[in-house]
Amino acid sequence: MHITLNGRPVDAVPAGHTTLLDLLRDELSLTGTKRVCDRGACGACTVLVDGKPVYSCLTLANGCDGHDVRTIEGLGAPNAQHPLQAAFALEDAAQCGFCTPGQLMAASALLSTNSNPSDDQIVAAMSGNLCRCGTYPKIVRAVRRAAATLREASNG
Amino acid sequence: MAESKSRFISTTVEVEGRTEQRVVEIPTFEMEPWGADAQLTHVGARATRVDAGTKATGNPGYTTDLRRQHQAYAAIVRAQIPRGKVLRINTDAARALPGVLDILLHADAPAKTRLFLQDITYHGQPLAAVCAVSQDIATRAAELITVDSEKSRHSVTVAQAIAPDALPIRPGLPNNLLFKEPRVNARGDVAAGFAAADVIIEREVHTPCVLHTALEPHSAVCEWDGDHLTVWESTQGIFRVRDNVAKALGVPLTNVRVICEAMGGGFGAKNYAAAHTYIAALFAKRLGRPVMCAVDRTGEQVDTGNRPSSVQRIKMGAQRDGTLTAIELVAEIPLGVGGWEGGPGEIYHELYACPNVQTHETFAFVNTAAMAAFRAPGHAEGAVGLEAGINALAVALEMDPLELRRRNIATHDQKKKRPYTGNRLAECYDEGARRFGWHEWMRERGRTPGNTARQVKGKPHLRRGVGLSAQIWSTGGGPPSYASVRLNNDGSADVLAGSQDLGTGTRTILAQVAAEALGHSLAQVRAIIGDTGATPYAGNSWGSMTVASLTPAVRMAAADARSALLDAAAGLLNAPKDSLSTREGRVFVDGSDRSMSFGDITAKLGNVMIQGQGSRGPNPQDAGIVTTGVQFAEVEVDVTTGVVRVLRIVAVHDAGRIVNPTLAESQLEGGIIQGLGFALFEERMLDARMGLPLNVGLHDYKIPTMADIPSIDGVFLDGADTQANHVGARGIAEPAIVPTAPAIAGAVADALGVDVLELPMTPWRVLAALKR
Repeated sequence: MHITLNGRPVDAVPAGHTTLLDLLRDELSLTGTKRVCDRGACGACTVLVDGKPVYSCLTLANGCDGHDVRTIEGLGAPNAQHPLQAAFALEDAAQCGFCTPGQLMAASALLSTNSNPSDDQIVAAMSGNLCRCGTYPKIVRAVRRAAATLREASNG
Repeated sequence: MAESKSRFISTTVEVEGRTEQRVVEIPTFEMEPWGADAQLTHVGARATRVDAGTKATGNPGYTTDLRRQHQAYAAIVRAQIPRGKVLRINTDAARALPGVLDILLHADAPAKTRLFLQDITYHGQPLAAVCAVSQDIATRAAELITVDSEKSRHSVTVAQAIAPDALPIRPGLPNNLLFKEPRVNARGDVAAGFAAADVIIEREVHTPCVLHTALEPHSAVCEWDGDHLTVWESTQGIFRVRDNVAKALGVPLTNVRVICEAMGGGFGAKNYAAAHTYIAALFAKRLGRPVMCAVDRTGEQVDTGNRPSSVQRIKMGAQRDGTLTAIELVAEIPLGVGGWEGGPGEIYHELYACPNVQTHETFAFVNTAAMAAFRAPGHAEGAVGLEAGINALAVALEMDPLELRRRNIATHDQKKKRPYTGNRLAECYDEGARRFGWHEWMRERGRTPGNTARQVKGKPHLRRGVGLSAQIWSTGGGPPSYASVRLNNDGSADVLAGSQDLGTGTRTILAQVAAEALGHSLAQVRAIIGDTGATPYAGNSWGSMTVASLTPAVRMAAADARSALLDAAAGLLNAPKDSLSTREGRVFVDGSDRSMSFGDITAKLGNVMIQGQGSRGPNPQDAGIVTTGVQFAEVEVDVTTGVVRVLRIVAVHDAGRIVNPTLAESQLEGGIIQGLGFALFEERMLDARMGLPLNVGLHDYKIPTMADIPSIDGVFLDGADTQANHVGARGIAEPAIVPTAPAIAGAVADALGVDVLELPMTPWRVLAALKR
């Protein structure tokens, strides 16, 4: 199978039962995407397939043949942060940080379709992403801040 | 040596509500405390978490993300019955699976690891482990291992465990009780106290067993180099894991190095090495390659600890003016197959002034996985019962529940008959009431006939209510805790401390304190933590201890290094040492325009090291050190569906000096949100007849989501506790959770006019309470 992974072509030969999460973490060593519940209950493994957020633990790798996959590693880098990553840092929206990659990917999917989400829209879009440290209030603020940054950038 | 008499002394420290006697080393020099009005630059600043950037990339260095060369993966086979004996374990099918490398059974494990015991005492007990070239193969191989076992009668409830015909669960304890009998703590005379009371209330409150549910599971990667073992572990205590592993495997401490660069949550469950650690270490030794053992989600929820459930029968008496005359508690706590006395009783002795208090707690061992410390163990569940009692008294006395609490503030440590270093609970009540609008709400209530303030206009099915709860928790920290500070020859500084960062911000606050004491810029200071091979000792991150234990040691180490730097600078600047000051990485000669940067000084020294050592001195013996606070809640209850929605929480706590308000507020919000889960959603359910847990995944064990979060206004009183330690800081992580559930429960009772006496307050329980 061939996928476009974070903008680059990748060939892989996953087993039939291999999930996209297994492929990313165990075969491609892209460990930014987290395995927490492995059952589609927590959102920690959220990645984008063709721009839409999916639970990679519930997505078969072979089903992604020919599709575009984006993970946290493709969102930004420490020296070239995505506005969401910068906003999460500024708002202290990560405590232990383990849910953060999934939160960021879910937020990036939201902002790609809604440049000015209300708090209710943020909550509706991101309630599938669990955080046990309880950073939710700051995640909402970070998403708002990143949305404002992105709007300014597109207006400027 | 002449100095040895006074250099090491015995002192008392409190951890997770337990008091321990320890020998401590008196620091070699004394630091002047930073008073409440000290002019500080970095301490108290809202510095951005130093690892926020790497966390936002997803790869700050979690154990479960390690991929060492030739790393193999382990999976654990667990008991599926609560009680019995292993007869035979069939491994043929697993061994035949391509990619399987090795299997560990009871006979393969050193006795001190206590791995794979053949007597099954709880569902989820590890019985075997398999190692393979990939996690996928290891998991499938574990499923192919079958266990033949013989079942015997289990006890998963206190009633079952103390029945005359119950089987003993632990050797030497025929009645299955911790201490062989209930723990009774008393002061005064409760009978006389009740005789003197004008009103007496009685309640029975139930709190659920709740699961830590850290998102990163317990996990270890072990790698041997000859006789030397490196353990990467997701842990709250690198040195304790080192000690556990060395002892279990019978190797010298110096042969074991434990590293925790980043971890995905702990909340009290990750304080020791455990089965997964030993399994990884043993496989790694046998196979000669690195091995990861990461507990899967079911294992994490079943067998890594929990807050045990409790039944609390409460009786409280007060005089007409609200003065408490007696508090009595009879409680039952099923611990699991292991555990300790972190029970609900302690807070009954601490939170309110009352001369007559008696608590009677039955801690029973039962055939479920062992409990573990979970964020304010005992106090979080005890506060639910105690505050339900106070609220009931307020109703009986027709008194504002805030006023009743204000009249009974514990002005001193009643258990040990000593003052507190500081207890500003009265100020917390005032500030919280102001921010919440409590008095306005009460006035409105008083004016409105039939309590129509509880109705929501246009929505006859909704009721609103308000409640509050106070909190107290020992947060003094204590020794031993050590730190080193060294300047590199470009002037940048490293802080070395054997602590770890659970997500609390340890790295950030240690750097802030060191930068302050050095007179450096924060960007030039880095904390190196989480590596027993590189750092001096610090204790576990538990008991809300890290800030109060470690920051004084870091401050002292930085002051020591600064003194050495000034010795060097005095010569280079040709000025007396006592005329020098430091600010933002420069040494200034007072009263002149001469100065030198740290980097210019250290460059001249080459690799002559400027370094300092610091240690944590003892706590004052004649005063208790506590964090206190109050939380107010407003809820909306749908009386047709029983659904409770928390609208807002106001929290005000006094934790002494706050090193970083942003990080402290994050922890406060986190504690509140976990407390909200405790109040409304979370409950590990058991089938008592089968002896099995029923909801061990994240689908059916519900923790709060973003949609459940109220508006939270959480703040700390300004100040510094200079009697507690010379930084003036106390802990906050655990105090944050204690008052949330009782405040919400009080608000629900206020909304409905009836108590919901069993947590979590699920729709079913709310509707059942309404029918009473």
